[in-house]
Amino acid sequence: MPASTDQRRRNTIAGYLFISPWLVGFLGLTLVPIVGIIYLSFTSYDIFTAPQWSGWGNFVRMFTGDARYWRSVGATLYFATVSVPLKLAFALLVAMILNTRHRGIDLYRAVYYTPSILGTSVAVAVMWRELFGFDGLVNALLQRIGITSEIAWLGDPRTAIWTLILLVVWQFGSPMLIFLAGLKQIPEELYESAHIDGAGGLRKFLWITLPLLSPVIFFNLVMQIIFGLTVFTQPFIITEGGPLDTTNFYALYLYRRAFETFQMGYGAAMAVILLLVVALFTGLVFKTSSLWVFYETKEGR
Amino acid sequence: MKRIATVLALTVTVSALVFATGEQEAATPDEFRAMWWGSQNRHERTIATLDLYSELHPELTITHEFAGWTDYWTKLTTMAAGRNLPDVIQQDYAYLTEWQSRDLIQPLDPYIEAGLLDFSNVAEASLEGGRIDGQLYGVNLGINAQAMVLDAAMFEAAGIPLPDDSWTWGEFEQIVLQLHEELGIFGFGTGLLNEQIWKSLYLGAGVTPFNAQGTALGYDNDQILIEHLEMVMRLQEAGAIPHISREASDYAHGDTLETQPIVFGDAAILSTWSNQLTALWTAAGGPDERDFVMITLPRLDNRAPTHYVKPAMFFSISRDATNPVEAARFIDFVTNDLAANQILMAERGVPIAAQVRDTLSPQLERPQQVVFDYMTRVAEDSAPIPPPDPAGYTDLIQNVYEPVIRDGVRFGVHTPAEAVAIFREQTAQILGAAN
Repeated sequence: MPASTDQRRRNTIAGYLFISPWLVGFLGLTLVPIVGIIYLSFTSYDIFTAPQWSGWGNFVRMFTGDARYWRSVGATLYFATVSVPLKLAFALLVAMILNTRHRGIDLYRAVYYTPSILGTSVAVAVMWRELFGFDGLVNALLQRIGITSEIAWLGDPRTAIWTLILLVVWQFGSPMLIFLAGLKQIPEELYESAHIDGAGGLRKFLWITLPLLSPVIFFNLVMQIIFGLTVFTQPFIITEGGPLDTTNFYALYLYRRAFETFQMGYGAAMAVILLLVVALFTGLVFKTSSLWVFYETKEGR
Repeated sequence: MKRIATVLALTVTVSALVFATGEQEAATPDEFRAMWWGSQNRHERTIATLDLYSELHPELTITHEFAGWTDYWTKLTTMAAGRNLPDVIQQDYAYLTEWQSRDLIQPLDPYIEAGLLDFSNVAEASLEGGRIDGQLYGVNLGINAQAMVLDAAMFEAAGIPLPDDSWTWGEFEQIVLQLHEELGIFGFGTGLLNEQIWKSLYLGAGVTPFNAQGTALGYDNDQILIEHLEMVMRLQEAGAIPHISREASDYAHGDTLETQPIVFGDAAILSTWSNQLTALWTAAGGPDERDFVMITLPRLDNRAPTHYVKPAMFFSISRDATNPVEAARFIDFVTNDLAANQILMAERGVPIAAQVRDTLSPQLERPQQVVFDYMTRVAEDSAPIPPPDPAGYTDLIQNVYEPVIRDGVRFGVHTPAEAVAIFREQTAQILGAAN
């Protein structure tokens, strides 16, 4: 019927109008730059002069002729593989502690969230430099308990990456908050009946908490993998990619190629690969999710 | 229909207004922008000079931006891409040719002919570095040279006589070891593998770092660099210079003056550019607390000079300048005005205008006096200025020299001979592709 088609079209238009702020942002700030970057990745571009088509040149050079590129890939994967599980485990632990009923627990919730707000800021990065500097607080504390440390934590290839891992694990606030919300959704009676059946704490955690929390774990995992693969501010300010490229993470190296040595085409090619890899990892997590993520509503049907 | 007409009429009126104001703004040239890189000291002095200029020219609105060296170039290139460069930009010898070849800066000769820029008190040699194909693209803000800063009080405490300009790298090593043994400090601070020092070694041997085409290294003798690397390793093992891990974590490889070990009295020698002495001395507590001396970089055994006299930096007028005439007037003010130079106090380098030098000389504070003396000495005894670094130079330094030579050797990943061989091969590869 013509009237209903008309009605539907009007609804569609209204719908698009409602999401138009997001749509404009997505097209202008995400899609167009992505297309631009894909084009630039096939060019040699120094910012000053017009880009020149170079075909697969950037990609060939990246994969076959740049030792620093592979070091940055290795460092990034190492960082993500270690920091993401640690951060999630820590966030979950704190969330479970904060999910108990104690006086002043709301205050603690706020307090534990602050590192996340401060975390990506330059000020905290500078503070971290001071903490782990050779004459910093960490070495001073070690001195106090009788250990004379000759380690420059940020300048030693064995330790530098760990100071950054420690920093991002300390910024557990946002996954913690999401875990906390998830924990509150788990019905109390499940624990009660398990308790009556004689289940201990560990058993309750493994058979009630983890399965019912799995959608939230899934979400946090995806977000943190993306964060881990694109980390920038902390290595940029704290270690400047050093020592020996152990913290020259992908996004940082990309920035340097693009804006410090003015190889914008090369940087764009790196960005395209990063986009593909992030998509791949996210896709993998999604693909495997049916094996381990438990949706209560779905099961119930 | 009537409504549409009204809307149309309104639109026309509004746009006419907008265009009119736009034109009006362009017609009254009362605004210009300046941008520079530097340390805190330079920012304060330059801002004070701009304030003085605004007082003299109340009709002008001057805006400024500043940054550290690396950020400066990032910002500036981004602005160049957006065709939004400030009117007056600070330029470096290393980049002047590149920026000129891309038409990002204007020739200044028309402004000289128009009488806006006056160089009647300036020696031609001081302008030379800013000329490309006979046209002037940058006004030299002061002359500069690599130097070694020595803490005289520490030398005295260690009972070591102060070396003079003729010292060699062999003597340098002995002195650094002795300072370390006598005082328990670092003999030398950071940056012994700075790329400037590598280049100076070869200038001392009478060759240029790169060949004339800019496609490869300009010398065959790798032994000079290998021996320098071996010396650095001996000093590092003896603890006479900071270990590379501390150089990276605490001293930013010498990039930030304010955190250098000599500032805190943890080292007795530092290599730097002569025009950084004022900032360094201020950070270290000033002439009342510290006693600094400046001599040239050590020489090879042939005792030929390893340093050269370089235009410290330039002011250029950008392609995008909205107000080049006022920009030229301001550059003239910085070059010739006595009051302006009494604020700037040769912080960027020894001024090029004779009357400015003569006026400043007696009223100089001690750090500047030391720099003036030093520049007078080295002007008579220096290697010829090498050609500007070839295209691809930043890529080479960041992605090969620093990871392989500076860090690779000192962290023990490569032996000096291995590192130098890798460096030679990759230089040919990178520069060959870029030139």
